Amino acid sequence: MVSGEGGQLYTIEGVAAGLIMIMTAYLVVNATSVYTAGDTHINDMQLEVLGSDALKMMGTPSNTTMNSVDNSTLRTIIESDFSQPSNRERFNATFFPLVNNRTLQEPERFIQYTANFTCRDAGDNSMKTKFLSSSRNLTGGEHTVRVTKWVIVNKIMNNPNFCGTNGIDRAVLVEVLMWRD
Amino acid sequence: MTDDNANLSIDFLVGFTIFILAFIWVVSIIPGLLIGLQSHTIDYDAVAYRTGVILVEDPGYPVYIDRSNLSWEEKLKVDKRDVDRLGLAISRDTPNILSQDKVNGFFHTSASYNTSAFTYSLGDYHKRAIFSDYPYRVNISLRDIDRNEIRSVGDVIPLNVSYGYISRIVKIKDPSIATINASDYKNADNVSTHKFSILLNTTKLVLGEVKDPAYQINPMKEQVMINITDLNTTINQPVNITLSSLTVKRVGDTNSYPFDELYIDDNSAPQLLLPIEVTNKVSLKFKPTFLDGIMSDAEGSQIYLTLTFNLKDPGGNPMNSTFLNNTPGTPFNYNSPNNFDYNYNPNNVRQPQLRPALLEVAVW
Repeated sequence: MVSGEGGQLYTIEGVAAGLIMIMTAYLVVNATSVYTAGDTHINDMQLEVLGSDALKMMGTPSNTTMNSVDNSTLRTIIESDFSQPSNRERFNATFFPLVNNRTLQEPERFIQYTANFTCRDAGDNSMKTKFLSSSRNLTGGEHTVRVTKWVIVNKIMNNPNFCGTNGIDRAVLVEVLMWRD
Repeated sequence: MTDDNANLSIDFLVGFTIFILAFIWVVSIIPGLLIGLQSHTIDYDAVAYRTGVILVEDPGYPVYIDRSNLSWEEKLKVDKRDVDRLGLAISRDTPNILSQDKVNGFFHTSASYNTSAFTYSLGDYHKRAIFSDYPYRVNISLRDIDRNEIRSVGDVIPLNVSYGYISRIVKIKDPSIATINASDYKNADNVSTHKFSILLNTTKLVLGEVKDPAYQINPMKEQVMINITDLNTTINQPVNITLSSLTVKRVGDTNSYPFDELYIDDNSAPQLLLPIEVTNKVSLKFKPTFLDGIMSDAEGSQIYLTLTFNLKDPGGNPMNSTFLNNTPGTPFNYNSPNNFDYNYNPNNVRQPQLRPALLEVAVW
């Protein structure tokens, strides 16, 4: 021991301090990954806007509704007879190309969906849900977003067992789950 | 050692070196951390979303108020500075329904319109649609699905560069068109001079049965097109047809106004002078700016368009025929039920149609 060594650092303390600092820096770097998860919400928002627009435009008739009933694609499809596969296919044939369309580039995204609709059975006051169409089966592992639209229909002729038998206007909730493939 | 004050020990040197190394490492990582936090893609996506909302859900500013306060797409090039915001929706109450005239004005592809010509390189779109001081690079594209057309403005999207984007599914309102087949309007007058009159009752169209702007015929906001076809075919014998005059009048106004755009036999250039010989087709186009100049501020703006045709045989002599003529006898009668009415009857006029389209905004 020499005299006058007060205030000096020893090797072991220096190495220990260095390790602590490196570990601290490592923890800080790791902790920042929490923030990057925010990007997911943007993707969800883009999908939700797209699906919501698609349902809205399918529910908008292409010409005047003056003196006639709403003849939108969505209403016509829901009022049709679902025992016919061709009527289910009509939803797919409209919705799927709409959400997968691009402007300048070839489709780089493949958006899948599954759709159903729900309404109140005026006969027994129960809620009934019916499958509408899907581009792929939902297996449970997908990260889906949900878009909905209320549609007024008058469904009696083609499928009298669904939503009661009265020929009156009623609200039907169309629900679509969408995900990226 | 007798006096070792102010000396650095090897222990301190080792510790300090480790600290400096760790510090340099942390500092070198910080830019990467900020990229993650600032997240350019989030920023780009947000700008793209905002631009998409402005274009699809807003009619832009100024909007049409009256004939001295025109909508932005009707502004002339010299008045471009008066345009504050570029929106494509036909009205604030009809999001996702785009106006064909606004789309034409935005992508400035309609040569016949002398509307504000916006230039991407001069930042016109940045000031009026993107609203940012930061010089984002942008591409805005519209795919008209039924017509399979793509219109685009802005930079080409580079490969292998991440960009923010938003896709909006919309419908474009296709304005109404009246197609009049000459053979449907023959009458008993076997004469060589024929008058055909068309009524454009703007008050009835705007305040009448159709209130929804998406399906309304509004000559003050969108163009009116009238095609008269099968002129020669109707007579079915050698004849020279001359359109000798076209008068535009408003009820209650003695003035006669010049016509707007007249096209003969599918010529792409408008016909400016009359008389003109016609083979088979006459097309009339009236832009909102033109009709605004005629309209009365008071209600009751009924506009009559009267076309006068003269028929001659190949020898140049007047030729009688029961040709296109819905104003039998003279003088001309404004209230004649025979006048062709531009109205909501689909047998007279092809009503406004909405056709699907996709608008995409990419920002990087």
